[in-house]
Amino acid sequence: MGGPAYDCLTNPSGAVRFSFANALSSGYDPASSHGKDWGVVDLFRHYFSDESAISQVPILDSSSIKWVQPNTLVRFRGMIQDMLGNEFYAGAYKDDATWRTNKYSDVSQFPTGSSSDMQVWERRLLYCVPVPGQNQWTECSSAELKNRFLELTGQNREKRVRVDEEMTDSMDSNTLEAGLNGSPFKKLKAEEATSSASESQVPRTDGAPQRSVLPPATSAESLPCLVKVYDSPESDLKLNEVVEFLGVLTFDPNTMMDMDSPDDNTDAFSEAESVQMPSGKVPRLHCLIHRKLETQHFLHGSPLLTELKSPQMFREIRDSLMKYLTGLLGNDHIAAELLLLHLLSKVHGRVDNVAVGKLSLNLTHLNKESMSIFGTQLRNALKSLLPFTQSIPLTIEYLNTASLGPKKDYGTNRLVPGVLQVADGTHLILDETELQPGTLNSVGVENANLLKNLLECQKVEYDFQYYKMEMATDAQMLIFSEGKSNIMPADMVVPFQPSQVNPMQVITPETAQAWRCYLATCKSLSHSIGQELQQVLENDLVAARQTDRSLGSQDLSRLLTMARMMSVSYGEATLSLEHWQMVLELERLRKERLN
Amino acid sequence: MASDSSPGNTNDGPSSPGENASSPIGNTYSSPSSLRSRRRARSSTPSQFATPSRLGASNSTPSAARSNRGNVPATPSHTDEAPPSSDDGGEDGADDTTPTFVWGTNISVQDVKSAIEMFVKHFREAKESSDDLFREGKYMASIRKVIEIEGEWIDVDAYDVFDYDPDLYNKMVRYPLEVLAIFDIVLMDIVSSINRLFEKHVQVRIFNLRTSTSMRNLNPSDIEKMISLKGMIIRSSSIIPEIREAVFRCLVCGYFSDPIIVDRGKISEPPTCLKQECLAKNSMTLVHNRCRFADKQIVRLQETPDEIPEGGTPHTVSLLLHDKLVDNGKPGDRIEVTGIYRAMTVRIGPAHRTVKSVFKTYIDCLHIKKASKTRMAAEDPMDVDNSLRRVDEDVELDEEKLKKFEELSKQPDIYEKLARSLAPNIWELDDVKKGLLCQLFGGNALNLASGANFRGDINILLVGDPGTSKSQLLQYIHKLSPRGIYTSGRGSSAVGLTAYVAKDPETGETVLESGALVLSDRGICCIDEFDKMSDSARSMLHEVMEQQTVSIAKAGIIASLNARTSVLACANPSGSRYNPRLSVIENIHLPPTLLSRFDLIYLILDKPDEQTDRRLAKHIVALHFENAESAQEEALDITTLTSYVSYARKNIHPKLSDEAAEELTRGYVELRKAGKFAGSSKKVITATPRQIESLIRLSEALARMRFSEWVEKHDVEEAFRLLRVAMQQSATDHATGTIDMDLINTGVSASERMRRDILVSSIRDITLEKMQIGGSAMRLSELLEELKKHGGNINTEIHLHDVRKAVGTLASEGFLVSEGDRIKRI
Repeated sequence: MGGPAYDCLTNPSGAVRFSFANALSSGYDPASSHGKDWGVVDLFRHYFSDESAISQVPILDSSSIKWVQPNTLVRFRGMIQDMLGNEFYAGAYKDDATWRTNKYSDVSQFPTGSSSDMQVWERRLLYCVPVPGQNQWTECSSAELKNRFLELTGQNREKRVRVDEEMTDSMDSNTLEAGLNGSPFKKLKAEEATSSASESQVPRTDGAPQRSVLPPATSAESLPCLVKVYDSPESDLKLNEVVEFLGVLTFDPNTMMDMDSPDDNTDAFSEAESVQMPSGKVPRLHCLIHRKLETQHFLHGSPLLTELKSPQMFREIRDSLMKYLTGLLGNDHIAAELLLLHLLSKVHGRVDNVAVGKLSLNLTHLNKESMSIFGTQLRNALKSLLPFTQSIPLTIEYLNTASLGPKKDYGTNRLVPGVLQVADGTHLILDETELQPGTLNSVGVENANLLKNLLECQKVEYDFQYYKMEMATDAQMLIFSEGKSNIMPADMVVPFQPSQVNPMQVITPETAQAWRCYLATCKSLSHSIGQELQQVLENDLVAARQTDRSLGSQDLSRLLTMARMMSVSYGEATLSLEHWQMVLELERLRKERLN
Repeated sequence: MASDSSPGNTNDGPSSPGENASSPIGNTYSSPSSLRSRRRARSSTPSQFATPSRLGASNSTPSAARSNRGNVPATPSHTDEAPPSSDDGGEDGADDTTPTFVWGTNISVQDVKSAIEMFVKHFREAKESSDDLFREGKYMASIRKVIEIEGEWIDVDAYDVFDYDPDLYNKMVRYPLEVLAIFDIVLMDIVSSINRLFEKHVQVRIFNLRTSTSMRNLNPSDIEKMISLKGMIIRSSSIIPEIREAVFRCLVCGYFSDPIIVDRGKISEPPTCLKQECLAKNSMTLVHNRCRFADKQIVRLQETPDEIPEGGTPHTVSLLLHDKLVDNGKPGDRIEVTGIYRAMTVRIGPAHRTVKSVFKTYIDCLHIKKASKTRMAAEDPMDVDNSLRRVDEDVELDEEKLKKFEELSKQPDIYEKLARSLAPNIWELDDVKKGLLCQLFGGNALNLASGANFRGDINILLVGDPGTSKSQLLQYIHKLSPRGIYTSGRGSSAVGLTAYVAKDPETGETVLESGALVLSDRGICCIDEFDKMSDSARSMLHEVMEQQTVSIAKAGIIASLNARTSVLACANPSGSRYNPRLSVIENIHLPPTLLSRFDLIYLILDKPDEQTDRRLAKHIVALHFENAESAQEEALDITTLTSYVSYARKNIHPKLSDEAAEELTRGYVELRKAGKFAGSSKKVITATPRQIESLIRLSEALARMRFSEWVEKHDVEEAFRLLRVAMQQSATDHATGTIDMDLINTGVSASERMRRDILVSSIRDITLEKMQIGGSAMRLSELLEELKKHGGNINTEIHLHDVRKAVGTLASEGFLVSEGDRIKRI
């Protein structure tokens, strides 16, 4: 396609316009296209085909928002928290005899509605938030990018205002290029620039009402983003998915004016989104390309990703991780082994109400004192190993007051997030050791039911006021309790028997990285079973059931899940007899402890 | 007619401007909106819609329209509105000679008008057309009716339009603004021809479009089209009074202006007093109570849960309601809306003339149909089973679906297939599932003229070991059934189940509050942990389960409430695990009177059976290691199942065929005879009249599954089999191994009773032999030893608890006293 005549990074809108003009000349007809892509996506996809090009794009978060420029390309990594439906916009219009497009931009560059011909296209609005419970290590440091970016614009931070002016100028030249009257646009730009500048100076501590809407789990520093998606089939992006969006960042100056002079006419019709989401708080991102994120994407350029191939490697890392976990758990080898299996679990199939592959763990015989030692250590360890972790204290007060399930607020027409609206693969720690006798009110009962339902079926009920909707969720749940938890009947219950308290182990970033990579890789491995072993398994299950009638289908199912996890923990894609016997042995040891 | 608007031509609507270069399409939005003006009352475009609405045109009040009638039909549409730009002058000039076209299209106004006239005047419903041709058409009749009751609209079924003139229908859907405006004019013409003095506007309200859009699929091409969609109201605004006509008064001379009509959402205040003598400048002020206002309401509609794809949140859309439609629904109502999809630009601020590039969309409502209301009207809720399932409450069966059901019902293995589809994730328990299926379909309730009535509902009790997925079955049925109520025995009280009288805190009146059983009238009441229910609560069920009513007599209220519910209960055996040595009654530990009211009692026992275990193991292994979905057998999905069941319940009412009746009699007699076995002289009651009723219900349900109007012989046979399977498990006398209804009815089988009598008499013998009156006491264990030694006529093993029971009997006779472990002869 030759060298691009524009800079995809700093002037994506220019690229869009350029390619639109190209497409027009090669016979693209906006009138009949319904806004279908004319090659922009391919263009950008080509440009960002490899990871290194993508890493050039700054990630939008609460710190980078202060220096990224509007109308440049940014990335946003987050979870789709709510879907705000479709939006119709004037996609293309005729300016004299040439078609212009508004795709990937907020404001019509053609301010008055006097154009003689206009096409209405649609785009999807997604409200995205940083993934709840996202751990520190997943965030890439944007410091170097920032420097690079500032270098790119040839300015530095102190000359802030000038940067804006320059930006405005460059935008102006663009608009002039497009044959438009640039003055109103320039004015808007200037306003926008000042607002974003002031935005950067004022720390975001103001108690805006929108703040209270945010889940308690996400920190106050989190930055939501309103993503506008084009040309994407509905089934492509689903609620609670963790996605990276790459697109044009805009601040919408119009909505700010709405704020200045609330227009009483628009009351009931306006989706209220502009009112709730002043663009200073919620930036808009016009998505060009997007991809779903796996844990691997959070491991920044780890060389292990490619190396982690041989079984030898798997075994080595497994051993070192096991050693670490055993140390954490006061040399309780069985608990550590079960914990590893638990960490590798994920739902890989659903048949009606049965979520196949879930493996929740309940460590019993923990009290407040031992919790403060082991619990805290474990929590920190998991934080450094897994991308998304959350812990929920199971106290009467918490259950009675917290809003665990997401709820639709029809007043604002938004889905109010609950603690249990989590991305797939989130790890939840439920601490029952602090539970005291008390009375649950109706909220408490509902919350307890939600938790139980999540544990048993891996589903969370979303409250839409007039009806409830169950959303499939994949969360790993680890429960600490004194006795066997009755509120939270976990798949595996094991009494915790530490023999000593080990000092906090220091791990190097490299090892941590290796372990993260190991966990992520193991989790994503596919798995199967040989014909002969299948027979062995069946025989063993029948034999187990013949000897112990109390074994239900759930217990058998759990054994198979454990076998699967055991096998993938060694990096193997098929179950071997050896691993199956290890599981049976582990199960025997666990049973022994229970009695 | 209207040959010029063949489908090919109608395509070049406003969306493809290229072809009709001469017609100034402007932008897509301004063009139709200028025509919108003809829709007089409906054209109340709210002021914030920046579309250049031309409301000035709506001064074509009825009288104006009437006066125009004599002229060329097209006049009302064009004479009273100035062309927005000089471009269309050419077209407008052709007023009288050439046909007038709807803007941007080649739809001739005259053609449309005459087509509508034809439709209104001549449309007759198919069934009435044959007998009398001279009767008035359907819509002429409704116009007369409207005139009589001084109504303001007539409802027009879009299906009728399509049947009469598909071309008109297509035009109407594609260009609703224009066509409806003409429709209104035609109506007014007809109305005034009937009654010259009729003053009110009569509007047309179209409903029942042939295609219904889903909210999710609305897209830009639907804009300005007539659409119909279903949804649930989630929020409605307060009623907004919208000014239509304003009256101004001069502050200087007190002169009242003529009513000024809203133009483009604005009222132009006269700059000067209009009175010739005054002409004072800037003196006019609005007189509120002489202005005319119209109601307006904005309502938000949300998708119903069944339309939401996996991993999505519901979409919403705004509705704009006017006049009579206001307050037609309240939040929570499910409605079907017919209206015009509109988009409006958003102005940046009130002071700005610039608009954003984003549009707000809404639906200008023409007609609202409440889903629940129509259903109530269509069926008598008391007699017809409106068992629309909860999962898809208002899925109306279209013909396609019906055909599919018919095909399904013809399949020879439909019974097996349905059973398979029921709770597919619950393993085995095929016969239990078949029984539950019968419960879902239900039998025919019978009301005799004599006042006696027989219930059609089938009650089922599941008793079984823990962990045999009873509760899961219950949950599943609960989810499936209409108005299912799920309660847990432990948490239910008698009044909670039936009905209770409460004092209204405000008025102090006593009011009746329904309990679970009353609430699940016409549904299935699922009671978990039946055994853990308090006795008083359980005793309330007696009446419900046979008479199907709940009678209340307290606090001055004497009432009998309907509770035509099937009861599905499940219980654990009394010792939590089934003890095969104890009798069923002892295991279930429920009063026999209640037990006999269950049509089917299933004992779900976890028998150590290698075969079942192996199948279970295979199933689970497959679940884990193969594609989970493929592990499932071919089965109906839950929505199909529910609508199949509800269709069958509603429409199929099978009767007993002679053959089946014969088989029923024969089988029943056999069942009664079965008690006499092996030349035994013992009289065992094997079946009671209750059983024959159960059998009839079951065979009716089985016939329903096949959509058969007749109960055939094999239905009866299957019913017998089901009963036998259930009974063999629940009424097996462990001593004799035969069916023994006595066991259910009294708790003790005949042979058991005999054995017990023998035991009592031998204990009596022993005590007479060994003990003196008032002599030393004897231990029960010693007595047991004695009995074993004694042997003789007791051929089975004797347990201590048998002895204790027998001793109890003797003690009640006053023959001996038992003190703890010892007995004494008196």
